[in-house]
Amino acid sequence: MYSASGAPPWLSNGYGHHTAQHAYIPVQTRNPYASSLPPPPTYIPQPLNHTLRTPSAPGTSSPASSDSAKQKVEWPQTVRDYVNRCFAAETQIPGVAREEMEKRLKDVITDAAKRNMLYTYQWDAMLLPQQMIAEERKRAALGLQALPPNFVPPPPPQLPLSYAPGTNPVLPAHSGSETLRKRKSSEMSVDMDNNNQSQPPWRTKKGGSLEDRMSAPDKRQRTEPGPTSSKLNSTLEHRRRRFDLDGRSGSNSPRKHASPPAPAEPLGPVIGRCQKLEKNYFRLTAAPNPDHVRPLDILKQTLDLLKKKWKEQGNYGYICDQFKSMRQDLTVQHIKNEFTTNVYEIHARIALEKGDLGEYNQCQTQLKTLYAQNLGGHPTEFLAYRILYFIYTCNRTGMNDVLSELTQTDRQSKAVKHALAVRSALALGNYHQFFKLYLDPPNMGAYLMDMFIGRERLAALATISKVYKPAIKLRFITEELAFETDAEAAQFIVDHGGQELLKEVKKDGDDFVQMATGNRLFEDAKNAAFSSVDIKGQI
Amino acid sequence: MSILFSNFHEAQRIGDGPALASCLAPVNSVSDPKRLWSFSQLSNYQTVEADIRYHVIQDRNAVKLPKQEANQWVQIFVCLWKCIKELASIESGRGGDWNTAYKVYKDLCNNLIRGYQSFNFPAWSVPCMYTAGKYLRILAIKADAEAAHAASNGNGFAAGMTDDIADTSEKNEKLQDAARTLQLMVAACRTDDSDLSESRKWGVISVANLLFKTYFKINNLALTKHVIAMLESPGTNLPPLEAFPKAQRCTYSYYRGVLEFLKENYAAAEGHLSDALSICHQNATRNREQILTYLIPAHMLTSQQLPNRALLSQLPALERLFLPLCTAIKSGELSAFDKALSDAEVELVNRRIYLTLERSRDLCMRNLFRKVFLNAWDETKDPATGEVIGKSRRTRIRVSEFEYGIRAAYKDAAEPIVVDRDEVECFVANMIYKGYMRGYISREHAICVLSKKNDAFPGTGT
Repeated sequence: MYSASGAPPWLSNGYGHHTAQHAYIPVQTRNPYASSLPPPPTYIPQPLNHTLRTPSAPGTSSPASSDSAKQKVEWPQTVRDYVNRCFAAETQIPGVAREEMEKRLKDVITDAAKRNMLYTYQWDAMLLPQQMIAEERKRAALGLQALPPNFVPPPPPQLPLSYAPGTNPVLPAHSGSETLRKRKSSEMSVDMDNNNQSQPPWRTKKGGSLEDRMSAPDKRQRTEPGPTSSKLNSTLEHRRRRFDLDGRSGSNSPRKHASPPAPAEPLGPVIGRCQKLEKNYFRLTAAPNPDHVRPLDILKQTLDLLKKKWKEQGNYGYICDQFKSMRQDLTVQHIKNEFTTNVYEIHARIALEKGDLGEYNQCQTQLKTLYAQNLGGHPTEFLAYRILYFIYTCNRTGMNDVLSELTQTDRQSKAVKHALAVRSALALGNYHQFFKLYLDPPNMGAYLMDMFIGRERLAALATISKVYKPAIKLRFITEELAFETDAEAAQFIVDHGGQELLKEVKKDGDDFVQMATGNRLFEDAKNAAFSSVDIKGQI
Repeated sequence: MSILFSNFHEAQRIGDGPALASCLAPVNSVSDPKRLWSFSQLSNYQTVEADIRYHVIQDRNAVKLPKQEANQWVQIFVCLWKCIKELASIESGRGGDWNTAYKVYKDLCNNLIRGYQSFNFPAWSVPCMYTAGKYLRILAIKADAEAAHAASNGNGFAAGMTDDIADTSEKNEKLQDAARTLQLMVAACRTDDSDLSESRKWGVISVANLLFKTYFKINNLALTKHVIAMLESPGTNLPPLEAFPKAQRCTYSYYRGVLEFLKENYAAAEGHLSDALSICHQNATRNREQILTYLIPAHMLTSQQLPNRALLSQLPALERLFLPLCTAIKSGELSAFDKALSDAEVELVNRRIYLTLERSRDLCMRNLFRKVFLNAWDETKDPATGEVIGKSRRTRIRVSEFEYGIRAAYKDAAEPIVVDRDEVECFVANMIYKGYMRGYISREHAICVLSKKNDAFPGTGT
């Protein structure tokens, strides 16, 4: 293999291909057993594999592949060994035809050659083409529902019990609209602060997280570390990879760009190994590294931890980030069960509470697919939220689709009945009924209704202004439009420029405030409110 | 097989667009039920290009086409052959899949488009675009059905790089792809600057109709905006709609009308749909039914008029849907209306008219209140004798009277209605606000004062 004679290895082994004399003498550019010095920076990110292979001199003989390469390609020894192994009798797999195997082999090697990765793949550890084909077939036959080996069936529903409809374990149960409304206005301002926090946390965190993120230089480039830490990282990576014979993580060789791994690495479910409970969210740009993916039992502990932290701290930016990374871990491990549904539901509820409709809508979309697979959870609760969401976004086609999918059982559920009643009340302009329904929504519907309560109040006031003459008592408005106090109703009117309309009146020993009617103030305000619906960037 | 080519040459010779188009249709025809099979037997994958080149260019009966055009036609027929080969295999049950057939036919369409854009295909052959587009669409639907069938196990997983677990990519992938190709076709038809008598613009409406159909099927109506903008923007210099063949006009107006309907522009919708109805052929029952399905609700909302029995009786399906509703509305029976609406709900939702018809409940309530009004008399008594000498209509109606009216309307209903005074006031307020009634409410006296000028209920004569 590593011939000490200095003659080109392929010549001494007699591959039988053209052994034309070359104008240049092959020279080994590096000592194969050199120390694990970090490479010159230009070789980032694949510097170290060189130390494990003999770099071969330029030559044109090609391995057993049938494609006659027109360019001069070097074939490292390891590639050749790989090819030999492929054709060896012992490694044949019965179900895989030879032509198929050859074709795959050719693909793998030409692909690697095209990307100039001949030296960087660990051919020793790479799956043989026939193994790859067998893997893929197995996976396809299982319909991708193969669960990772460390999957633990979920325990009988102890989690859902704590989510009995009507109570929200993550929040103190909302006692009535007043607490909700008060919470909402302060939530809105908190949300603005949190938007700043939703910047990737690594920007604000101290350097300690770097060591946690060692083997993934795509993250490394984002964190922009100093030169010393990159050397440290690459050294550690090199050591780890040298001893790591697991083909999967080895083939997850660090890449700068988001190209998917070569055909050697099928994108099947990842089996996670990470034991840390918390993890910041990074968008995936390459195949995930199992060392950073948490397995299911860890994720369950994480969920408990997050629930506690949410209750104690209420830090939305942090919680949202953690939940997104949990969702990501579940996705790459192809975990689709009641736990997944649970995670999405909790995240959706938290997003609702904070008025983050974009995130809420994302979770809602995923939940729709999950419910279709009968994995438990609370489909009717979220169906009701969907209806309310369509009302908010004035999405007629979406609403039509929901109506067409409703089943009889859906209609029996309290939440869905409420949402449907809201819809039809609004469709007919029955504000009286609508505000009654607003006072007592099931689950967390109040948060969704809060999104459009303002414009519906304007609509009602527009009607009242046109119809009642000459004036109307403020108390009537407070009661009809579900304000908590007269003061709040007055404040609403003033906010929309109606301070002139309010007047104190003494009549028959009774004093009250009344609002003058017969003006277009609220009509115009209503038209303005309905003409722009902000869906917060997510469809 | 050479029948196809002789048709092709004949069509080229005399300049017959539809005949040329029929050459591109990958189906068996009535006169030639084994067309697919016999065409696929013509050649094989190795020699197909050479064979077709012979038939198109070198055959002694071949019409002489300019070199580039002829080459392009060769390409087109090669694709056609591949597609037909695939279809013949499917037909005979020996393998073959719609996916491949679709892909190859798409190549055909792309070659056709290129033919028009770069190789000067003559404008009279523009019906080919429509035929190609039509079959492209059909093949795409079949390919999607096949894919959906194959992937019906555990398809939910997102492959690779996403954050979320469910794969939300569309299940109408091929059809969306086809839509993009169709859009290229429309663009190719539209951007022809030659004189109108020799222009491709005449093909634009038919292909646009195909595009509408496709967008409706994939339920992405937002994209229709672009098509309409392309066709109706002032800079395009298309011939006026009236100049196009009736069939195309009718379809186009229908789709425009439906799109306006779904955006709740009922007046505009009514305009387009009435046009479509007037052009529509007498005997095309199915088409008339479809147009009326949207026209009737639109008209009800714009002019508060109900369809009469004569109209409905022509179309039993519509009669079944609309008649109970209309009867209830006429008589102001709210409970009957609610029942009729919920009975027909499923079908109405499927046709997307449920949300519109819901609004006609206002009409029903208006009629009910009108009845209350008509029965509210003031008796004028002779001051001397105290006898009743005449009656006049009251215009001051107490809210409680309306309330009794509503209760009466529900007296035959299965469950007694629960309605409180404030809610009734809200109903009356809505009537006034929306213009069904004219007057005002005085909350202090709990009465509704209606207009004296005989238009308390505008449009009904009282």
